[in-house]
Amino acid sequence: MRGKDVVLDKVSMSFGDFVAVQPTDLKITAGEFFSILGPSGCGKTTILRMVSGFLGPTTGTIAIGGEPMAGVGPNRRPTALIFQNLALFPLMPVWENVAFGLECRGVPKEDRRRRAGELLELVALTGQGHKKPTELSGGQRQRVAVARALAVEPAVLLLDEPLSALDLKLRQHMRTELRGIQKQVGITFVYITHDQGEALTMSDRIAVMSAGVIEQVDSPDRLYDAPKTPFVATFVGENNVLRGKVGQQTNGMLQAETPLGPVRAANPRGLSHGADAMVFVRPERVQLGVHGVDNQLHGRVVRRELEGPFAQLALETPQGETILVHQTNHGGAADVRVGDEVSFGFAARDALALAAGELARD
Amino acid sequence: MHSLVQTYGKALTTGIWLLAAIWVLGLIVLPQLFVLEQSLWWKEKSADEFEVTQRIDRLYNDVMLWQLDLSSAAPAQKTELEQKIADAEVEIARLEDMEIAAVKVYGLRNYTRMSSLHFQIFVKTIGYAALVTLLALVACYPVAYTVAQLATPNKAALLMLGLIIPYAINELLRVYAWLMILDYQGVINSFLAWLGLVDLEAKTWIPFLEYPGSVFVALIYAYVLFMVFPMYNTIETLDKNQIEAARDLGASTWRIHWRVVIPHAKPGIAVGCIMTFMLSAGSYSVPQVMTRGKSGDWFSQLIYRQFFESFNWNQGAAYSFTLLLVCIAFIFLMMTVFRVGIRDIAK
Repeated sequence: MRGKDVVLDKVSMSFGDFVAVQPTDLKITAGEFFSILGPSGCGKTTILRMVSGFLGPTTGTIAIGGEPMAGVGPNRRPTALIFQNLALFPLMPVWENVAFGLECRGVPKEDRRRRAGELLELVALTGQGHKKPTELSGGQRQRVAVARALAVEPAVLLLDEPLSALDLKLRQHMRTELRGIQKQVGITFVYITHDQGEALTMSDRIAVMSAGVIEQVDSPDRLYDAPKTPFVATFVGENNVLRGKVGQQTNGMLQAETPLGPVRAANPRGLSHGADAMVFVRPERVQLGVHGVDNQLHGRVVRRELEGPFAQLALETPQGETILVHQTNHGGAADVRVGDEVSFGFAARDALALAAGELARD
Repeated sequence: MHSLVQTYGKALTTGIWLLAAIWVLGLIVLPQLFVLEQSLWWKEKSADEFEVTQRIDRLYNDVMLWQLDLSSAAPAQKTELEQKIADAEVEIARLEDMEIAAVKVYGLRNYTRMSSLHFQIFVKTIGYAALVTLLALVACYPVAYTVAQLATPNKAALLMLGLIIPYAINELLRVYAWLMILDYQGVINSFLAWLGLVDLEAKTWIPFLEYPGSVFVALIYAYVLFMVFPMYNTIETLDKNQIEAARDLGASTWRIHWRVVIPHAKPGIAVGCIMTFMLSAGSYSVPQVMTRGKSGDWFSQLIYRQFFESFNWNQGAAYSFTLLLVCIAFIFLMMTVFRVGIRDIAK
């Protein structure tokens, strides 16, 4: 199996007056694990359905492996789709499910059985072929869906939030497994999800979408450390937001006038004096009880939630702003209690100033 | 049962069960038992008994005549006439006792003594009903699929309304509508005449009503809902993703239906076939109206005649019970063919 690249050229999709996807350019490299991340209703599934051929774009063209896909139905595209609810055929035994694509291609029954056996081995379901899908567990059904899609030897595998129905432990396990299968077969995976954890752990690259627009396409690390828009900054991982006006600014740094007073932050987007800005600080970059950092503040602990590896503290400043802090659990973390007055701060390079814009809703 | 009591309380639950029991007993079990009993005996007519019957008939005639005379008779003759009538009535009662006491013979003769003509009609009717079922299935499957899977909810509601509205009209009127369409000088023949293809004056019309096909058309139209609705209900529950998944994996339209939609819709198809078959096999009015005696009888018409023209209830009961047995056999056949259990059908 060989992966192919997927190129979207000014692709848009409208349903009546509603524009689901604004004109979009996107290039997915052959053989990569590419995720499209966004809240529900952002248009990510629409993109997937256009790539798979169930929807025709209102404008623009889609090419897979250099071949334009206009007028090519889903049954003749080099893609295979894994549905959110998996859509296994409940009345067929597992092996027939897996071999269904081969059946459609006129492969003789003996070869189908053999091939289904091989694929079930790949997804660690050896010997389960005779069962009905309903007799399998959630994770096993998941793997049947993967095997069924791989059976048609697609160049691009499209996955529409296939893990969303699983419980947390299984979901984490399946992430590793999906990633392993992708590395093994080497084809392009396009993975749709609203779960940033899934996207960050599995993907080579991620596109973050909001309201029909792709906000940023980047590696997971870049996306987390250098978000380009307020939406990405708040949708991927947690972030504290301080609104303010840009004051003075010099070589990549700026000072913003916020309700907490002047805050110094990195200015990668080159915001100029007087612009409306948002300053983002990750909770794990805020330090308690430090002195002599760029931004020095104090507040009262109003809430403490232990997550295990860290405790999340909500600090209320005298100005009435709430700042979240992740306090790494080295043991003895319980020293800080609700009601304590604490001083805290963060370095200017750990704060990021972006032009004010739409935030992700929780 | 326990949950029923919890939901409705003891009194209401008892009421519900009682009503259900009365319904089943009074409207299903007892009539069927009565028919079964009727079908298992007949009147043995000896030459002697025939004479008794004739004498009873003659006495009844006499009594009627005397009663007529009585109204215009002189008072002197009145008592004499009244005496005569009273004597005759005693004699009638005696003879009728004799008749009733002598007749009943139990056995299976009513079942085994079907004439070859009647048997032909019986086989033909079963064959026709099966054919009607098949045609209705072929005609209704695309309709049910389209409404259930392709149409938007609004369109589906409209289409369903379109299917249901004709059923607000009396069944006979609907059948007569087909009669008007297919008649010698009906809509189709008039249209053909207008095109110059047939000549109504010279009676070169196409005699649609003389073909069994005309009964088929009317039957399918009369019972189309019973085929469409069960199928629609099952196809509607099919996850659209399964159809898309099959298409995505490269399945042709035919394969999607054969491998995904039809297996899912099997209980609905089975129920639709059973209902259409039973209704067609037992339909009286449609063949009666559509054939007008011009093409052969259906078995249901035979049964009617046994009851209401020959006054041979025993033979009629045997005929109708035979039909019932065939229908039950058909149910089991469908359940085997479609591999569905009673549970699936009940759903």
